[in-house]
Amino acid sequence: MDTFFQQLANGLTIGSMFALVALGYTMVYGVMRLINFAHGDMVAASAFVGLTIYTQVMGQATSLIAVIAIFLLSAVAMAIVGVILERLAYRPLREAPRLSAVVSALGASLVIQNGIMLIWGPQMRIFPELVPQVYWDLGGVVISLIQVIILALSLILMVALYLFVEKTRMGAAIRASSIDQDAARLMGINVNSVIALIFIIGSSLGAVGGLFIGLYYRGITFNMGWQYGLYAFVAAIIGGIGNIPGAMLGGMMLGLFNAFIAGYVSSTWSDAFTFILLIAILIVRPTGILGERVAEKV
Amino acid sequence: MKTLQRFGYPIFFVSMALLPHLLNSRWQAVAITFLIFAIVALSQDIILGKSGMFNMGQALFFGIGAYTTAILNSVYGWPLLATIPLAILIPAIFGVILAGPIVHLRGDYLLVVTIGFNIVFVQVVQNNLGGITGGPNGIFGLDAMSFFGIQLASQISVYYFAFAVLLLTLWVMRNLEGSKAGRALHYLREDQLAAESIGINTRIYKIFAFALGAGIAGLAGTVFATQYAAVSPEAFDFIQSVLFFSIVIVGGSSVPGVLIGVFVMFVLPEIFREFATWRFFIFGFAMIAAMILRPRGIIPASFGKIPKFLIKDSNYGG
Repeated sequence: MDTFFQQLANGLTIGSMFALVALGYTMVYGVMRLINFAHGDMVAASAFVGLTIYTQVMGQATSLIAVIAIFLLSAVAMAIVGVILERLAYRPLREAPRLSAVVSALGASLVIQNGIMLIWGPQMRIFPELVPQVYWDLGGVVISLIQVIILALSLILMVALYLFVEKTRMGAAIRASSIDQDAARLMGINVNSVIALIFIIGSSLGAVGGLFIGLYYRGITFNMGWQYGLYAFVAAIIGGIGNIPGAMLGGMMLGLFNAFIAGYVSSTWSDAFTFILLIAILIVRPTGILGERVAEKV
Repeated sequence: MKTLQRFGYPIFFVSMALLPHLLNSRWQAVAITFLIFAIVALSQDIILGKSGMFNMGQALFFGIGAYTTAILNSVYGWPLLATIPLAILIPAIFGVILAGPIVHLRGDYLLVVTIGFNIVFVQVVQNNLGGITGGPNGIFGLDAMSFFGIQLASQISVYYFAFAVLLLTLWVMRNLEGSKAGRALHYLREDQLAAESIGINTRIYKIFAFALGAGIAGLAGTVFATQYAAVSPEAFDFIQSVLFFSIVIVGGSSVPGVLIGVFVMFVLPEIFREFATWRFFIFGFAMIAAMILRPRGIIPASFGKIPKFLIKDSNYGG
């Protein structure tokens, strides 16, 4: 049973990172029906930006305020990148054939990924130890302070996002735009600002996810965005693309699934099992577990 | 387009036929690489461009073909050219088996699932399933090409082998366009509901397109294994699939467009070697710019014998 609870704790940690990143995919997909392939690379970029802020701006301080500042600055930086990305690469293609936007997204992904490589180099970098290495041994199950922080902060962010989308006027505008963009526009909603808002929220959540990846795994590489991005996108599909609670559920499920595969089978087969799970879910429930919520472009 | 077809193609074929005699061995190798990737990109075009299925796992079929050739040669001692039938058939069968349960999925779902197939394939060969794929290093030291005992080891003969496969691919695609299957695929790409309502069995034709594209990619895999005398997992990584996908869309799903795409993606980096680290950074910008300036591709395809006024404006249905 120790393996079970240990992998449960690990799975919830990985799952909350997947969920944070998946939210960015699912919100963009919900309104624009576009897989934002660059999102994963922005997550990776965030870890590198965090690293640079830590060494250059914060003077390697690890006080609580410094850590909070690193998170905030990285999130703001990625939000700006996200808005620029949407403005340059996606907005001109909103009326174009679907696949043109997909290729533009792939291009943006290559630009960001290789931009990271050109700035920070191709070799693996070690993310700073921002959180003290504290471990608790709960009867054979080891839980670290980092895991607790990741899980707690992710849950707070997700609840806040859920409340924002469900209870505020701006949230209602987001929901309206994902149901029917044209009708939303007729109701006086500025869809362009909604899309910009979605990129701000999605990118900053992704930025937090990227810093968590750095904190948890320590080693960060320029091309890790594809890996985490793809998993997060799979999580978004599993939960039902365009569906915000679905992305949270999908992320947690995929994290737990991966942890149990690693614990009971072998981590060398995790990709294969992840995609087998995806295909199985799509065959049983073609629109994901909670169902999709997207504007159907006709 | 008319002038291009009348003069462009003969000039292209004649110059490609003479090309290897004008190049030194390094550039011959580059030219062979161009031919191999052109074949794969065209096979991708059958599935993605001609049939409108968002397949982002074409390197999977390319890899299955290459590994089929490599395993048959290294383990069972088959001559390389004798592996051709199986290197076409096995990827085609995989195409049918894998596409069967997923072709009904909507665009983006299909895209992610095909990426998944590609990733699973790479993981399977890396983990050396069954002990015959050579693990992360792949399989190397394959035999040289021979034809009924006659050694054809020179790079020029590999070049003509690749060129023959390219010509075969172009011939298949030309016949496909005029055939019943090609018309069916065209209709179902433009409007699946309408195609079904006039009695086209879309499922069968979609699976057929996958099988055909997979078989041709598999044959390209044989050429790849022949050229490098080796296969390894990273050559069939899903990043390769992403490149093939982008080439078809940026090229506009037409033969000249796809060939230009392959040239830009795989030959230009050889010419401008000093920019190697900047390669994908620049390509990324180029892909965005190409799509914004020409959303339907550099040279958009026009469909064979159908009058222009019948072709819907958007080439890719949503």
